[in-house]
Amino acid sequence: MSLLLQVNQIYKEFLGVTAVNNLTFSVHGGETFGLLGPNGAGKTTAMRMIMNIIAPDQGTVLLNDEARAKIPNHRFGYLPEERGLYPGANVLEMLTYFGTLNNLSKRKAEVEAIRFLDRLGMVDFTDRKINQLSKGMQQKIQFVAAFLHDPDVLILDEPFSGLDPINQIVLREILEEYKKKNKILIISTHQMEQAEKLCDHICLINQGKVILEGNLNTLKRKNRENAYLLSSDEDLSFLKDFSELTILEEGNNTYKFALNDSKLSVSGILKKVEAQANIRKFEMMEPSLHDIFIQKVQEENGGQA
Amino acid sequence: MKNLFRIARWEFITRFRSRSFLFNTFVSPLLFTAVITLPIFFFNYTPEVSTKLVGVIDLSGKNLAKDLQKQLNRYYRLDNQSREYVVLKVSVDNSMPYNEALSEYKEAVAYKDSVTAVFNQIKRQRSEYYKNTKIPNRDYFLKTSYEKLQTSREEKELAEIELSHYKASLDSLYKREAQKMADSLLISDVLNAYLLFPDDFTRRGHLEYHSKNPGDLRETERFEKILQTIIIEKRMLEDRVARPKIKRWLSSISIQKYQLMPQGQTEWNFYAQFYGPLIGVFLLFMAIFTSGGYLFSSVLLEKSNRVIEILLSYASSRQLMGGKILGLGFLGLVQVLTWIFITALFAASDIIPVDKINYLSLANAFYFLLYFSLGFLFYGAIFITVGSISSNEYDAQQINQLLRTVAIFPVLLSLVVLAEPNAPFIQALSYIPFLTPSFMIMRIPLSSVPLTMDIYITVGIMIISIIAVILLAGRTFRVATLMQGKRASFSEVLQWIRVK
Ligand SMILES: Nc1ncnc2c1ncn2[C@@H]1O[C@H](COP(=O)(O)OP(=O)(O)OP(=O)(O)O)[C@@H](O)[C@H]1O
Ligand SMILES: [Mg+2]
Repeated sequence: MSLLLQVNQIYKEFLGVTAVNNLTFSVHGGETFGLLGPNGAGKTTAMRMIMNIIAPDQGTVLLNDEARAKIPNHRFGYLPEERGLYPGANVLEMLTYFGTLNNLSKRKAEVEAIRFLDRLGMVDFTDRKINQLSKGMQQKIQFVAAFLHDPDVLILDEPFSGLDPINQIVLREILEEYKKKNKILIISTHQMEQAEKLCDHICLINQGKVILEGNLNTLKRKNRENAYLLSSDEDLSFLKDFSELTILEEGNNTYKFALNDSKLSVSGILKKVEAQANIRKFEMMEPSLHDIFIQKVQEENGGQA
Repeated sequence: MKNLFRIARWEFITRFRSRSFLFNTFVSPLLFTAVITLPIFFFNYTPEVSTKLVGVIDLSGKNLAKDLQKQLNRYYRLDNQSREYVVLKVSVDNSMPYNEALSEYKEAVAYKDSVTAVFNQIKRQRSEYYKNTKIPNRDYFLKTSYEKLQTSREEKELAEIELSHYKASLDSLYKREAQKMADSLLISDVLNAYLLFPDDFTRRGHLEYHSKNPGDLRETERFEKILQTIIIEKRMLEDRVARPKIKRWLSSISIQKYQLMPQGQTEWNFYAQFYGPLIGVFLLFMAIFTSGGYLFSSVLLEKSNRVIEILLSYASSRQLMGGKILGLGFLGLVQVLTWIFITALFAASDIIPVDKINYLSLANAFYFLLYFSLGFLFYGAIFITVGSISSNEYDAQQINQLLRTVAIFPVLLSLVVLAEPNAPFIQALSYIPFLTPSFMIMRIPLSSVPLTMDIYITVGIMIISIIAVILLAGRTFRVATLMQGKRASFSEVLQWIRVK
């Protein structure tokens, strides 16, 4: 039976401040769900509610139509945003402890811990104390703690922060592998490239409310904005005088622009440019998640102001 | 439920293996006990280990040494019943100057005796001449014998004066030589002290006490007391009071100290009675604040390094709190049982005389465990609340310090408790949950009446307070532990308590 996590109209308020405002989404097994949004948007709060660390004031979280509070915790795995471990504890002993808290036998927990540590290139550190490890290593230990017990729903709050590029790749590989088991993965991140590479489905929230939600590819297509990129070795500032286009971004003789009328063809413009400068690169822009994020959040905040 | 035990096990094991637990279980109680009991040993026991030699220089000629010895034997005996003091007459037999003076004195005595004999003979002759009127030449004889009598009387008086000079110089020589001897014996630690009785001792009652430490009040008091009776006896003899009468008048009193105990009368040993409960309070305090302190730092640590969030995603906050209380409470029990076991071991090997210290009983061991458990739960719940509310370690440690001060406060009143364990205000103070364990652990062994009623009342009060603080802790724990960065205001704390 395939998995389905439903978040229905969850609402949370802290001392008068609304942190999460009627958030609704659902995630299927095998899907990676990205919870995106600016600082203070309510991502961590939403995740904590899914993890049943805090209870929503209103709304429900269901896994296969079962209320979250009734589901044993070991079907969920969580990497909190704030990283921290017992500084004086022994790596393997602590991971085994966490494993047993999630209903693994001591033996099984030990085996799994060593397997994952090996995978992350840390098998030599099993007998070290936590405070003898670097910050990145400690973070890897935390990953192991989150998916040691092979949960059905894995929630990672900003998993990539603090990892070097190589470890980011290793982590992504592990997550891809996990996804293949048709399980649910929810991540939040501020690194849009990572989200783009990993997520199938995203939900952009701001001030506790959804402002954009859906399949990543669909969203991209919807937000295609007739934008083009032009760059040259020479000065292109004369582009600003062209009435048929709007400059979106500029920098270093590279300009990103959109046509004011989608019926216009770009070839006319290209000809006009070629007359004045050599074109080094020209391409049609697919909107990046980064652009969508910035555009939507600015729209949202601008609209409110 | 299983997670509760897993958490308990983890808390127990990680703390049990820590160095601080070892320190708090063995080193600090030992240090405390040593510091508190060392003075007793110095003050009370060391001087009595062996028999003491006391020298006597007696110029009074009343054979005081013998009387002194007799009286000392009567009052002071060592544990093995042999006498504590041995009186020794300081001898000058080996002193050259004294022996010379002595022989001169003896010559003078002999001379005086011979002169006296001559004088007496002349006197006798003359009285015969007086009585017998028929003797021829009686007048002549009377006349010449009178001259003889005069000269021999003069000789005799001169000899007597001379003899008294000899006697005086012999006495002062004796005093000097004997003291020289006694001092050297004192220096070489043969004598513990010596007493010098002047010739007018019985009249004036004045004597000298020489020792390396004349400040030793206990010794001088003993001699004063004994010599007082001796001198009174001598004076009575001088006044010709009949011996049987003297004996009756001077028959001594003796005080044996008893404390009324429920089990009947038992000999009262001040130090054991006082220091025992004091050590008891200290141990109780140690136990509560060792494991309670771990509870506190564990909450604080998990909050500050955010492990709390991982744990809360695996287990409920109730399991987490319950697990901590269970695990660390068990750790405290292990500590207390270790002490009870060590005490039992000491008792079995006769290092502690259990039969003389009647509060070392199984019942009191039970009360110790009882009040430890109550105190731990009470303070532990408060620690959890404080640990989860406070945002930084510094604030938290200050509150911790305050609680410790409150809990140890009864020790300051220990002297009052010792004098009157059931005074109304002590009783009232022991109903305050913060003070209950400390006060009760002192009162139970010290009280002469069973405190059954008070035990029921205080246990009741403690249980009610524990339920209240645990509810409070449970409510603040979950909400407050996720907060971070800023210090919680009082109104926020109130809000958390209301939050479901
Ligand atoms: N325990 C709490 N008590 C009070 N307010 C809180 C608490 N947790 C979060 N908030 C508030 O709720 C709002 C959402 O916070 P949240 O941590 O969910 O944001 P976020 O999207 O994770 O932000 P970031 O990207 O910075 O991690 C913020 O305004 C925050 O101040
Ligand atoms: Mg966050």
